[in-house]
Amino acid sequence: MANMNLYSRGDKLFVYINMALIALFTLSTLYPFIYITAVSFSDGSAASAGTVVYKPVATTISAYKYVLSEPLFWTSYVNTFIYTFGGTFVSLLIIIPGAYALSRPQLIGRRFFNLFVAFTMWFNAGLIPFFLNMRDLGLMDSYFGLIIAFACNAFNIILLRNFFEAIPESFEEAARMDGANEFQVLWKVFIPLSKPAIATIILFCMVARWNGFFWAMIVLKDEQKIPLQVYLRQVIATLKDDEEFGLQVLNFSYSVETVTAAIMVCSIIPVLIFYPFIQKYFNKGIMLGGVKE
Amino acid sequence: MSGVDLSSIVKKYGAFQVVHGIDLTVAEKEFVVLVGPSGCGKSTTLRMIAGLEEITAGDLTIDGRRMNRIAPKDRDVAMVFQNYALYPHLNVADNMAFGLRIRKMPKAEIKTTIDDVAGILGLTEYLDRRPADLSGGQRQRVAMGRAIVRHPKVFLFDEPLSNLDAKLRTQMRAEIKRLHKRLGVTSIYVTHDQVEAMTLADRIVVMNDGRIEQIGTPMELFNNPANTFVAGFLGSPPMNQVKGVLTAKGAKIGETEIKIDGVTAADVGRAVTVGIRPEHVALKAGKGTSALPIDLDLVEPLGSEALLHARFDNNEMVFKAETHGDIGHLSGVTDIHVDSSLVKLFDGETGQALNLGG
Repeated sequence: MANMNLYSRGDKLFVYINMALIALFTLSTLYPFIYITAVSFSDGSAASAGTVVYKPVATTISAYKYVLSEPLFWTSYVNTFIYTFGGTFVSLLIIIPGAYALSRPQLIGRRFFNLFVAFTMWFNAGLIPFFLNMRDLGLMDSYFGLIIAFACNAFNIILLRNFFEAIPESFEEAARMDGANEFQVLWKVFIPLSKPAIATIILFCMVARWNGFFWAMIVLKDEQKIPLQVYLRQVIATLKDDEEFGLQVLNFSYSVETVTAAIMVCSIIPVLIFYPFIQKYFNKGIMLGGVKE
Repeated sequence: MSGVDLSSIVKKYGAFQVVHGIDLTVAEKEFVVLVGPSGCGKSTTLRMIAGLEEITAGDLTIDGRRMNRIAPKDRDVAMVFQNYALYPHLNVADNMAFGLRIRKMPKAEIKTTIDDVAGILGLTEYLDRRPADLSGGQRQRVAMGRAIVRHPKVFLFDEPLSNLDAKLRTQMRAEIKRLHKRLGVTSIYVTHDQVEAMTLADRIVVMNDGRIEQIGTPMELFNNPANTFVAGFLGSPPMNQVKGVLTAKGAKIGETEIKIDGVTAADVGRAVTVGIRPEHVALKAGKGTSALPIDLDLVEPLGSEALLHARFDNNEMVFKAETHGDIGHLSGVTDIHVDSSLVKLFDGETGQALNLGG
């Protein structure tokens, strides 16, 4: 913006409109967070009456006290961590070698395998066959089942394959001359050079797992194995009709709305903590200086 | 010993053949330069020696062992790439240690080796830096360091200086020569720069279109090129080549005759290409010289010498003559005196060198 005088009036207008649109978009993305946080710290009756707009009304932490005292909340929280970290780890175990293999020109039948993987991005078996498949493979109602069934993602494989393909061939050749075998080329050269792409994939996998709801609800019957999102649904679905909870609401200052909001805030916190750690890997220029272009 | 032997080496990509049966023996400790224009197959040949390209046919032996089907890591050769190919995520020390760690060399030994080589290459103070924080010359030195630390049987250089500026290239060229003298490792060096080839090589291999045109020491190739291609490739500026006909006294170019000894009666009338090195002329007549009336077009002073761009018998020619800075009188049609004994003759059709009376 320092050189704004180099721009014509039309260019400036274009930039200002863009900035206004970005500000509007940012605000529309940010507001739900602000609103949920405000509700979670508000008095139950105010939240039920819809008087909370952007800041807590009659500030209280009673909703949090209720949520944090529920054993199933903690169980589902731990489960979510298991599904998120376990799922992401297993995904990486499949995606990274898969993408590397598909990126190698010497792979016999490379075109076929690439098409084979890409095909699953456009067409899949559908809900019922997938469910039946999981059931017949004995993957129902288990941590392992939920993790392994969704570990392989064609989009992520293709994303990483494209990144691998863009790495100059001479890095691989230099490593081979240095004595590296195929695994060492991948582990010591390609993976370190692909940190931005791998960070992106880790983020995709973790967010998908963290927010994973539908299949967890379908697959998991044991309450002790459900993730946070399924627990949240249970809270919303059951508390309204729960007489005991109704009596508690009369005595304390929380409601279904504030409890739901408090769970949501609790579920967002790890993502907010985690993101800055991974963000540093989204940097450009990791290959700077390695080869003369 | 650690020699390299190429026997009838062929490289094909599908139906397209890029190397047509090369035979070359590189002796132990020898520095051989493969030189030729772009696409002549020199880099492909080097990459076949490295193991980065499969050999379609023929035999490659290193140190007496057949290497056609041996992986690059097991050939005990090290390569310096044109674009450096340094690992950007590792610092200088780790770049050099990469191959040693893979070979599971003990840590203390790795450190000693790297310190030694860094000292030789003047990289000691840069060991903690990443490639992005180094200049082009430093990066190329790191690339060489990475090759040297492994103490390989053979060094392969793939146009290692072509990304450097002219001054640095001259410096690095001298460093490579010093290193070779010091380490005495068999080296094969690819370049398209004939000055690099002339200055570095024990022997030069001139390649063209996937074939070897000539092998010899730099001066052998310079003084006795086997054909018009080699004659035109080596030397800066390159050898002037003009069409002519042999006469009883020598070679006739247009209306001018250059005296050449040894023309037999059988050779008279034969179409030839006359080769005159730009340096083999003088502005004044001398013993054994023949005058060429040239039409000077441009004079480029180089100090005590000058490059003379001229036309002669519809040919563009360049000469390099001693002028001692006195170039004011050089213009228009003037005589230039060719040292007849140094004129080269090539067959007018095949371009192969003629050995008159031989």
